[in-house]
Amino acid sequence: MTIKYKSIKEIKNMISHKEISNKEVIQEVFSLINQFQELNAFITLNEENSIKKAEELDNNPSDLPLAGIPIAQKDLFCTEGLRTTCGSNILNNFIPPYSATVIENLENAGCISVGKTNMDEFAMGSSNETSFFGNVINPWGKDLVPGGSSGGAASAVAAGLVPAATGTDTGGSIRQPASLCGITGIKPTYGRVSRWGMIAFASSLDQAGPMARTAEDCAFMLNEMCSHDEKDTTSLDNDIPDFEENLNSSLKGKKIGIVKDLDLSSLNNDVVEIYQNSLKEFESMGAELVDISLPHLSLSVPTYYVVAPAECSSNLSRFDGVKFGMRSEDVKDLEELYVKTRSEGFGNEVKRRILIGSYVLSAGYYDAYYKKAQQVRRLIKNDFDNAFKKIDVIMTPTTRGPAFKIGSKGDDPIQMYLEDLFTISANLAGLPAMSLPNGNIENKPIGLQIIGNFLDESTILNFAHMFQNETNWHMYTPEGIKQ
Amino acid sequence: MDKKTVTTISYLSRLKIDDEKEQKIINDLSNIIEFVDQLNDVDTSEIDPLANPLEKTAKTRKDIVTAKNLKKKLLEVAPSANEDYFLVPRVVE
Amino acid sequence: MSWETVIGLEIHVQLSTKSKLFSGGSTEFGAESNTHVDLIDMGLPGVLPVANREAFYKAIRFGLATGANINQTSSFDRKNYFYPDLPKGYQITQMTQPIVEKGSIKIAVDDYEKEINITRAHLEEDAGKSIHDMFEGETGVDLNRAGTPLLEIVSEPEISSAKEAVAYFKAIRQLVTFLDICDGNMAQGSMRCDVNVSIKKSGDKELGTRAELKNINSFKFIEKAINFEIDRQIRLIENGECVVQETRLYDSEKNETRSMRSKEEANDYRYFPCPDLLPVIISDKELKEIKENLPELPEEKEIRYINEIGLDESEAKIISSSKTMANMFEAASSKTDDAKLVAKWLVGDISALLNKDNIDIDESNLSAENFGILIERISDGTISGKIAKSVLEEVWETASDVDEIIQSKGLVQIQDESILEDIAKKVIESNPDQVSAFKAGKDKLFGFFVGQIMKETQGKANPKAVNEILKDLLK
Repeated sequence: MTIKYKSIKEIKNMISHKEISNKEVIQEVFSLINQFQELNAFITLNEENSIKKAEELDNNPSDLPLAGIPIAQKDLFCTEGLRTTCGSNILNNFIPPYSATVIENLENAGCISVGKTNMDEFAMGSSNETSFFGNVINPWGKDLVPGGSSGGAASAVAAGLVPAATGTDTGGSIRQPASLCGITGIKPTYGRVSRWGMIAFASSLDQAGPMARTAEDCAFMLNEMCSHDEKDTTSLDNDIPDFEENLNSSLKGKKIGIVKDLDLSSLNNDVVEIYQNSLKEFESMGAELVDISLPHLSLSVPTYYVVAPAECSSNLSRFDGVKFGMRSEDVKDLEELYVKTRSEGFGNEVKRRILIGSYVLSAGYYDAYYKKAQQVRRLIKNDFDNAFKKIDVIMTPTTRGPAFKIGSKGDDPIQMYLEDLFTISANLAGLPAMSLPNGNIENKPIGLQIIGNFLDESTILNFAHMFQNETNWHMYTPEGIKQ
Repeated sequence: MDKKTVTTISYLSRLKIDDEKEQKIINDLSNIIEFVDQLNDVDTSEIDPLANPLEKTAKTRKDIVTAKNLKKKLLEVAPSANEDYFLVPRVVE
Repeated sequence: MSWETVIGLEIHVQLSTKSKLFSGGSTEFGAESNTHVDLIDMGLPGVLPVANREAFYKAIRFGLATGANINQTSSFDRKNYFYPDLPKGYQITQMTQPIVEKGSIKIAVDDYEKEINITRAHLEEDAGKSIHDMFEGETGVDLNRAGTPLLEIVSEPEISSAKEAVAYFKAIRQLVTFLDICDGNMAQGSMRCDVNVSIKKSGDKELGTRAELKNINSFKFIEKAINFEIDRQIRLIENGECVVQETRLYDSEKNETRSMRSKEEANDYRYFPCPDLLPVIISDKELKEIKENLPELPEEKEIRYINEIGLDESEAKIISSSKTMANMFEAASSKTDDAKLVAKWLVGDISALLNKDNIDIDESNLSAENFGILIERISDGTISGKIAKSVLEEVWETASDVDEIIQSKGLVQIQDESILEDIAKKVIESNPDQVSAFKAGKDKLFGFFVGQIMKETQGKANPKAVNEILKDLLK
């Protein structure tokens, strides 16, 4: 019995029906990881500890919700005693003395953290081409990007090496790779999941979330990831619902917002057709399509590319070679220590964003850029608030097209930034959003994005789950449709 | 975005741009700034900036000491330290 | 040419909370290096700050005591720069919405008083310490202090001389110690100040270019540094040169200020709202509670001492001006009925002893308990005032109990009239010549007889009783 391409629920069943032992599950995970090494989905593996944990579970079975489930953790989460690099040279030797709340929550629910997944450096990127530890390959094609920044996580799940992984999403870093790799992933409402232990990129945008094979698995995992954390004052106090409760609610009469201002003409025809087919699918389940307007949507990318770099330029100042992480050799004075360490430690994209960030915050430019961007951000949020008065969810394609070739965006940052066109606005407004597979173009998957109202993960998961009941796009694997 | 500006912001960020990469950086940054300049097309005169989507007010903590002595652990992860201090090249004031 | 000096002070006051501004690290002074460093203080990747509410309360006390506006909604900003003892590469401070704005404080200089306005007081975190003389070619960093809450108090540039600057600094120090928000311990760095100094020609409206003198932490040095700087600036301008806007350090050994190097590319701090910290709101209820529980301030004490206890003005002023003295006075007074006598001793003998040993009253061996008992024993006649002085000295040296000293040394005053009469008669009989001389008009000899009786009794005779008895016997 193989665990390849199995979902969390399926593996749980296999274990409880004694079709496979915990140890066998974990052994197979590592065997698969080894077999598919060329994907470069992992930076650090946690084999010994994982096998040990699995053996303990075989001796003392547990009824914890994620008991024995192998999960790949994005290398942006601090894991105590296990190297955490954020895909960067500057942290290539960093062993955190503590674990992120998300990691603790999942491990307390019984999961086994099998390793740390590869990612764009400091979560800056949409193709996993900026990692110090090398590109990640999309299991759907050796020359294809998996998306980013949670490229390693998406690749590992899409290749069936693990049933689920944690990702983080600042401008689309869960949803975009989920779309390009043909899996399901959700970015919850800002504040649902604690950011304690999540290495910060853009503090007002970052949010952790699950990446898995189904909406059901995402809901199940999200239940365990969320918690009230007093160590993170930007985490919500609101009650955490059971995200699985409403998965099967009827969609009859529910309203789907279609964004008038979204110019789909620049997208390839297949993408538009697939998107429209999905909408028809929802209509057949009783949902209604409603036109909505988000007039400032087109400004979301420039807004993001002021706000995120500004916050990151400050967040990354702590990487100075003084107290932790890498320090350059042969530095003769303090200035050299800073400049050499940071210049050698950071890659080009990170440097670009730090420079932009410093620029937009500098004296004389603050009002014109940063303040302005924060004002436009409010306009974007207001647009969503207005729209949600008359609809339940908003749907867009997740990405402009399927996975593109590695190296094809050249070294043009703006081309890469436009990859996030559909996903960014949800981060700016703090709203929950997810991506699920809804088609295939020349054997490359593509995804549908569902955006929900503040705190309304349940409704978007409901839509996604019902779609997955009626369609089988989520069953597609690089080796064919799952049985 | 000219060479002088790039030099200043590089210094503020403690980053060195190699000479051969300098022109590309200047171009990239110029393009990005030009790209974000579109924000100025929008009238935001009466709009309050949004710094964080939550906008609820901060939770605070009670005044109690909860930290343990982590000296050994912290000095161990340091790139350069002796038993008592983190070490950097001599700073002259 | 007549010059005017314009001075503004930025005083950093370390708030006396138990834990740091954004973490549960301890703020205790003097601990072994790097033992009070929390993960948050280290600025490790992934950590997040959580604000200490008590720091707000202490800042608000300052605001209320200076008649300032309290911003019940206040927020935090990041000030970005690189330095080894600044772990995150930015300091969390309050630029746009400080907790306290405006306010004023009265200062007393020589023979006049002046009101100095305060622009703002805001919360921010302290940095760690860089130790430069550690090893050859290296600087050591101790992060114990990183994250300690500071209240930065910024004055309007209304101070006109070094003396006024010192008076202002002293007034702030007195206020923060009385408010119980800072221990005022200069040696431990609980208060530090930066001084902005500029000069202009008398009558000129425009201010001159200012120099910032950094991190001075003693009254003496503040005065010297400012005076040096004023002279330096005057000389520059008289020579036709310009004052450069820069930061300068005061060298106390050479008594001069000199420019700090490498601040050229002038730090652009790129302030922006800290995205990890949402605004903190202090409720009306909390504000009311703080108001109602404000500690009594020096002026209030002075008035109370004069009106309710009956101290005279100068005593009241002296005792109320120091928190430790006021505490001692109030504690000791509660142990005896004679508060006025407590005051007299405090201002007299005890102050003399404090000056001699150059210590503060709470560093002495005299406890409030013991002091109260001492006064009580004088009031109830157990010992005479003179004997009390020697008892005080004994306590001062050894911290022993007043009653124990009195008993063990047999210092109890002799009050028994019959005993005293016997001794007096004996003295009179042994000194017939002096008796005749006295009766013949040499009044001064009265003291001689008193002295003889005191000698006989090792000073323990009750002076009043002795006087009465002698008067009677020598009639």
